[in-house]
Amino acid sequence: MSEIKECDLPGIGKKFSLELDSGDKLVVVIHSSGEREVFKFTRGNDEPTSVTTLSDEEARQIGAILSGTYFQPVVEDEPKLTMKNVTMEWIKIAPDSMLANKKIEELDIRKTTGVSITTIIRGETVIPNPCSGEIIKPQDTLIIIGNTDQIKNFMSTFEIRQHVEK
Amino acid sequence: MIVDETVLSLGISLLALFFAGLLATKVNQSLTAVFIVVGMILQNFFPLTIITEFIATLGIIFMLFMFGLEFSVGNLFNNQRKIFYTGIYDLLFNFPLGLFLGWILGYDLMHSLLFGGIVYVTSSVIVAKSIIDLKRSANPETEYLLNILIFEDMFIAIFLAFIVGILNYGHIDTKGTSIVMLKTSAFFLFFIILARTSKKFIDKIIDIEHTELFVILILSIIVLSAGAASKIGLSEAIGAFLAGLLLSETKQRHRISEAIKPFQQFSTAIFFVAFGMSIDYKHVAGLIPVGIFIFVVSSFSKVYGGYFVGRRYRLSARAGLRLGFSLIPRGEFSIILAGTIAMNPGLPYPLKSLTGVYVLLSAILGSIIMKESDGFIKWFGERKEKETKRISNHPGRLPE
Repeated sequence: MSEIKECDLPGIGKKFSLELDSGDKLVVVIHSSGEREVFKFTRGNDEPTSVTTLSDEEARQIGAILSGTYFQPVVEDEPKLTMKNVTMEWIKIAPDSMLANKKIEELDIRKTTGVSITTIIRGETVIPNPCSGEIIKPQDTLIIIGNTDQIKNFMSTFEIRQHVEK
Repeated sequence: MIVDETVLSLGISLLALFFAGLLATKVNQSLTAVFIVVGMILQNFFPLTIITEFIATLGIIFMLFMFGLEFSVGNLFNNQRKIFYTGIYDLLFNFPLGLFLGWILGYDLMHSLLFGGIVYVTSSVIVAKSIIDLKRSANPETEYLLNILIFEDMFIAIFLAFIVGILNYGHIDTKGTSIVMLKTSAFFLFFIILARTSKKFIDKIIDIEHTELFVILILSIIVLSAGAASKIGLSEAIGAFLAGLLLSETKQRHRISEAIKPFQQFSTAIFFVAFGMSIDYKHVAGLIPVGIFIFVVSSFSKVYGGYFVGRRYRLSARAGLRLGFSLIPRGEFSIILAGTIAMNPGLPYPLKSLTGVYVLLSAILGSIIMKESDGFIKWFGERKEKETKRISNHPGRLPE
């Protein structure tokens, strides 16, 4: 990977440019106002072929997506949106768990308990909206969503004892 | 009664500025040029009062203060080589030309020097705004362009201190020049050392929560510095500029900028109006041909100078030309320079009115040229290509 070049643009902000392997160049300008501009220069061209302007907040979101750390933290960040008794629960799968080594579809979780699995966290990888064919493995962390009764139901049906403290 | 009329005329001026400015932003023109035109029109309705002139003086002071505030001494020290080497070529290409043009027009040495500065300095306000509007901030030539602008502003700030010093001394001779130079450098050195050494102390003094008291303290720092500079025979503007530099290193920089900005915007607008009001219609018609001549010659040298810097830093020919085309607009500093010298009716071409014509031409046409520079460059490139084709198709000539 080539290095990122940094340069001051006095009165405007700071410029970061990165030469991509394809020969194109990506330039990010951070304005003093917090606005970001992302420019793409095709190989050998010194005029941008595209410009995208982002607000500070948009830029942070995009940045999180690009770096692979993004998933929508519904409960923590947007409490107004969550309904009264809807909760999310983080659940660690023990090796002897009823859920371990089973496909999501054969467990019929939603039908029996009403709870949905929104995300599987497996070591470093995050699987948002796992498909029904996904196999739950020991040591996975599941993020499930449902109302309080559904969650309780889920916990007793699958004999879960271990949840993760947030 | 007099007060009432002044207040009323100020109100009318401001309303006129608003509508003119609205129109200008619709067609993407610089406010500087439009405000001057408003002033030129308004002089038919009411005279330039002492109060307007006083606000105009504050306008220069606040404008220079904001320049200083945006300027970081740290940045200047970090990039000094780059700033110096890009700026010096621009200076060598354009300042002597202005001086020479002044001499041709029949000015004495002092006015020629002043004219050199007027022709030399590009408007950083207009250019910086255009860079952002035209989405050119990531272009390869932009960092060199901004470095040139910084060098120019710094040079003109010192030049302004010097020329006003000379003016207050009376005439140019070795003794006067050295006294003024000594004073100027001592004044600059004092502020720069203060900015580098007493950062924490200044931070502590200006750390005031109370909004009103904060504004008053900052205003007092600005006006006191301006007054001190004036007291020792330098330009008030330079005092304000250095006050800005001093405060640019503090933590409160952003808050200061927010607090002073409304004052600056108001008084600077009035400054341009006042300048427009002082342009004499009688001269303007006769000055237009001279203005066009100076505009064409100086634009040519600006473009060539910019192109030269671009090529020296291995930019492509296109980027180099774009750099040159971006240096054409003149604005606030040219007007400040012209405004520092009282009108001298004995001069063959009244400096103030000529500067007005010149700035209007270059600000308006310069913004357009900057926007359309790609068209020019394409046209220029195609012609060159055709020429090379014609030469290479020439029978009997070996292909290179």
